[in-house]
Amino acid sequence: MRSVAIVFAIYLVMVFGGLAYAIALGFGGH
Amino acid sequence: MPRWLKANGLSIGFGVIFLASLVGQAISGHTSLNHDQHLHHGDPISLWHYVTSAVFWTDVMENWQSEYLQFTLYIVATVWLLQKGSNESKKLDEAGPETDEQQLLREHTKPNSPKWARAGDWRTSIYSNSLLLVMGSIWLLSWFAQSVTGRINFNAEQLDHQAPPVSWATYITTSDFWNRTLQNWQSEFLAVGSMAILTVYLRQRGSPESKPVGAPHDVTSVEG
Repeated sequence: MRSVAIVFAIYLVMVFGGLAYAIALGFGGH
Repeated sequence: MPRWLKANGLSIGFGVIFLASLVGQAISGHTSLNHDQHLHHGDPISLWHYVTSAVFWTDVMENWQSEYLQFTLYIVATVWLLQKGSNESKKLDEAGPETDEQQLLREHTKPNSPKWARAGDWRTSIYSNSLLLVMGSIWLLSWFAQSVTGRINFNAEQLDHQAPPVSWATYITTSDFWNRTLQNWQSEFLAVGSMAILTVYLRQRGSPESKPVGAPHDVTSVEG
């Protein structure tokens, strides 16, 4: 189950990382 | 094939084609934008500038939000709404959140059940809805991200044409925002509705998204 937990974590980082970048960009006014 | 790869084939496979598609979107979107720049006698921009721009991220976010809305709605709608004969539906007498016994909660947990399923307090309530909470949060955050990045593009267009920029509150009432939103939603809802009804009569051998090939049409909720 360790590899499954790692993939689970990678997905969360990928999704929330993308969201955080986009929202920061939206406020930054690039 | 290594054991870790076999155990995660579905998630890794889709993760890889997601990243490949995102790269493809970046390259084609960049080429398309520079073509437009050329037609309007503007300077070309670099690929890095493009993938860190609001233009690129609005396109990404408007698609993300609709996909996460689709799954969020499907998770919650399938608790209550049923489709006779569909692989995507519970049986017709199972509408609703079901009993603790059916859901393996509290005293009905198994030795290896998640701890929060056994607790019986607020932790069980949260864990019982955790998939909906996280998928719904991603939907709302990506829709919000679409709105804040979309506003930047919208205002850039406004300024290009000597029109005043708009506030976020105004942008989310514009036809630009709702056109981007609804053109994605309509396709998601059609595809979900199609899956719900097509699995009544059609089959894919070996897929858990289908009933077994020989399952009768009127049998609801039998995974193949």
